[in-house]
Amino acid sequence: MSAPLLEAKKVSIHFGGLKAVSEFSLEVRQGDLQGLIGPNGAGKTTAFNVLTGVYRPSEGEVRVCGERVNGKRPFAINRLGLARTFQNVRLFKELSVLDNVRVAVLPERRPVFDDARVQRLKRAGGVPGVLGAALDAANDYREWWRAFLRTPGFLAQEQGVTRKADELLGVMGLTHRRDELAKNLPYGEQRRLEIARALGTRPKVLLLDEPAAGMNTREKADLMVLIRALREQFSLGILLIEHDMKLVMGICEHLTVLDHGETIATGLPAEVRANPKVVEAYLGEAPAHG
Amino acid sequence: MRSLAPVAVAIVALALLQWLLRDAEYAVYLMTRVGVWVILAVSLNIVNGMTGQFSIGHAGFMAVGAYSSSLLTIFLDEYRVGFLPAALTDQLFFVLALAVGGVMAGLFGFLVGLPSLRLKGDYLAIVTLGFGEIIRVVLTNLNVIGAGGKTVVEGALGMSSIPPYTSFFSVWFGVFVVVLLAKRLAASSHGRWLLAIREDEVAAEAMGVDTTAYKVRAFVVSSFFAGVAGGLFAHFLRAINPNSFTFVESMQVVVMIVAGGLGSTTGAVVAATVLVLLPEGLRTLFLQLGGADQSLAQKVDQVRMPIYGLLLVVIMLTRPQGIFGSTEAWDWFSRRRAKGGGAKA
Amino acid sequence: MYELLQHLINGLAAGTIYALVALGYTMVYGVLKLINFAHGDVMMVGVYVGYAVAFLLGRDAASVAGALTVFTVAMLACALIGFAVERFAYRPLREKPRLTALITAIGISFALSYGFQLDLSVTAFGREWTVLPGAASKRFPDIIKAQRWASVGEPAPADPDHPEAGPGGVCLRFGEDEQASGCDDVILWNWQVIGFGIALALMVALQVLVYRTRFGKAMRAVSYDHRVAALLGVPVDRVIALTFMLGSALAACAGILFALKDKTIQPLMGLYVGLKAFIAAVIGGIGNLPGAVVGALLLGLCEEFIVGYTSSSWRDAVAFGFLIVVLLVRPEGLFGRAQAEKV
Repeated sequence: MSAPLLEAKKVSIHFGGLKAVSEFSLEVRQGDLQGLIGPNGAGKTTAFNVLTGVYRPSEGEVRVCGERVNGKRPFAINRLGLARTFQNVRLFKELSVLDNVRVAVLPERRPVFDDARVQRLKRAGGVPGVLGAALDAANDYREWWRAFLRTPGFLAQEQGVTRKADELLGVMGLTHRRDELAKNLPYGEQRRLEIARALGTRPKVLLLDEPAAGMNTREKADLMVLIRALREQFSLGILLIEHDMKLVMGICEHLTVLDHGETIATGLPAEVRANPKVVEAYLGEAPAHG
Repeated sequence: MRSLAPVAVAIVALALLQWLLRDAEYAVYLMTRVGVWVILAVSLNIVNGMTGQFSIGHAGFMAVGAYSSSLLTIFLDEYRVGFLPAALTDQLFFVLALAVGGVMAGLFGFLVGLPSLRLKGDYLAIVTLGFGEIIRVVLTNLNVIGAGGKTVVEGALGMSSIPPYTSFFSVWFGVFVVVLLAKRLAASSHGRWLLAIREDEVAAEAMGVDTTAYKVRAFVVSSFFAGVAGGLFAHFLRAINPNSFTFVESMQVVVMIVAGGLGSTTGAVVAATVLVLLPEGLRTLFLQLGGADQSLAQKVDQVRMPIYGLLLVVIMLTRPQGIFGSTEAWDWFSRRRAKGGGAKA
Repeated sequence: MYELLQHLINGLAAGTIYALVALGYTMVYGVLKLINFAHGDVMMVGVYVGYAVAFLLGRDAASVAGALTVFTVAMLACALIGFAVERFAYRPLREKPRLTALITAIGISFALSYGFQLDLSVTAFGREWTVLPGAASKRFPDIIKAQRWASVGEPAPADPDHPEAGPGGVCLRFGEDEQASGCDDVILWNWQVIGFGIALALMVALQVLVYRTRFGKAMRAVSYDHRVAALLGVPVDRVIALTFMLGSALAACAGILFALKDKTIQPLMGLYVGLKAFIAAVIGGIGNLPGAVVGALLLGLCEEFIVGYTSSSWRDAVAFGFLIVVLLVRPEGLFGRAQAEKV
């Protein structure tokens, strides 16, 4: 069994006196397709936010590709291999579809000061941390300078970025929208664009927050096929939050159920479905969409 | 490199213009003033328009550049590079001074950018305003005695006898450089990251953009050019004092980029040009009409400020995206060439 | 020792004035999430209205009735202007990005402060009316005749008018004219006391209003979430309008107190007072009423002490320096709650 790409070990997060998520544990490996479900307000998106670094865990540990990420900034966690989409679509509205994806793609660059060494320095904190930050800045300014001069190296980098972005648009079926502004897209395509953008960051684990929200039956069926295909094509581990039970039961191979921040059940979909605690948690909710 | 061709063209064109205008003193005076404000507007646009951070203390960076470059040229006045003719030495020192002024201003931009890491919208605006004011107050209390006991900087009276190194060429070359930078930056990954920060900072961060680092970079580059503009300004007016760099001046630049369209470099250029030339033109008109009576011409200066204020209100209520929105002149050209439209930055 | 005491008094006096203005800022920010940049300049207009009224009253201005009239008319005028600004400039922008409204506020601020620097007189009905006062400072009429409410100090040696000295060689006198000699190391002016009194009364009244009345509850509801408040039946537009009017009226009162303190007024007075009051509100935690008062008092004291012991040219830097330090160390202010963005 491969090492987990994403691990949460007894993660809790408090907001003042409120424990939004308590003792949340999870493992996602390559090839997984897991679901995180629970009634509204259960803390699912909060859990996502903790995993991606938007919130710092009050207790417990989060690891991405083996590395502890508690307190790291979201962009650093993303670069370690964890990408996400948002519950309310958060596209760059005034940018084109192509540009939305291009933002996510990191250009392959040859910096003056080796990136890995610079990052190590920065993490050390204190004086080496300041030096690291300065070298990082020097690297960036040199990149801006190369952009200003439009050096061949820079142009090649940019072409690489555009190529990769176009590839992803092709995979997600958005090539025909390439130059449209993101805000002009129909809702379903906007959600697909969010996924394309997340894929641009070359993730190993993909977190999808209600990817099917607002979609009709046809679109949801297509989405199910798409998610499976993405897992294959990009060798991902996928964790998704969803309310649509049919979709969840249809594609997820493992479920974690949250209620009021606590994990009340985990396991195979069939087991979880029959679990009386889960049924009780959902009682009083509107019937699951079929 | 092919991409440096525009620079060569610019140098030749500007040199030619400079020669053609060599006797048109008033035109050169006007265009120099326009040029300085265009540099300020385009540079501020990088932070406010492209990165979406509301900075309203730009005049402070201009002041830092003005003072540091002038101190350097005055200091270097006594020196010569042996084998070069005096005029060339002067220009060499001038370029050096402008660079130093820019770097000093960039340093302050870094200091101002740091709080921006934690502050949003309104708060950031007030802090940038505050920094601008602090710089002004510090300069009002600054006294520098030069070699031989001569007072170089005298607090609120500022500096004078700054060597007149600024030329039409130097200002407009500066304009060219900053416009080219803005254009090429916007078309690159780095520019797109700035735009992403403007559009949705949380999403940008989630997509691997180091938002705090990039916001600071935007501040630094923007304030660098403000410093250069300050240096050009100082060596043009020959005398500067802290009252040339107040909140009023900062707001003027803000009015320019808001009117032109936040995020549009073309808008910044056009708005800056119009907003400098228009009052100037009116003033000349009234001077000519009024003959000996100067009061109407003076009125233009006084009326300018409240009109800017009203202009801001009217624009925000009717067309908040400004004249150009976020479009650029060069997009219009490329869209006519390419089928199906070029991607907007 | 005396110097310290004098600075303390002056600092608190300035602080209470800032507090009245800061309250307006913080209330408006609470309900609109907008920094009303034009607040200080609306105050300035109110002061000029007060000036005009005092002028018209002539000799009568220096009476209790006269002073009350000046205050009342100025406060009413400001309330109206505040209403107009909100109605025509801010309300149309309520659903737009905050930056749009901020830029508009700055525009109004400029239009007012620089507009009032123009000289504009109109002849009508056989008299000349000043529409715009012009840039020069004007002497504000003494609607409260300046008197020493209390003064402490070393008695002048062999002073024939006041042969007695208090215990320990320190003299304490009450109710003397401005020009009285001797025993003037620390002076507490009557207008300072009146200012404290008015400010205190208004703040208490405001506290009662916000926390003990239905309107206050509506205000607080709107400040938490104006959309939800609307759904619950709160007349959001009216609440916001009244909040504006209230804040502006308070500012007018502060402005007149300011005019009494400095004895002169000029059109740019609003800009800096406004900015500093805003800084005070931020220091205390924007949206927090007691915080605004504490912040303002702190700022007034800081300013007074630093200027007193260095030089007046550093005055403006104090406020901004204070602000930057607070925002770096505790961005939500002394009493504020940290705002987290929902992701």
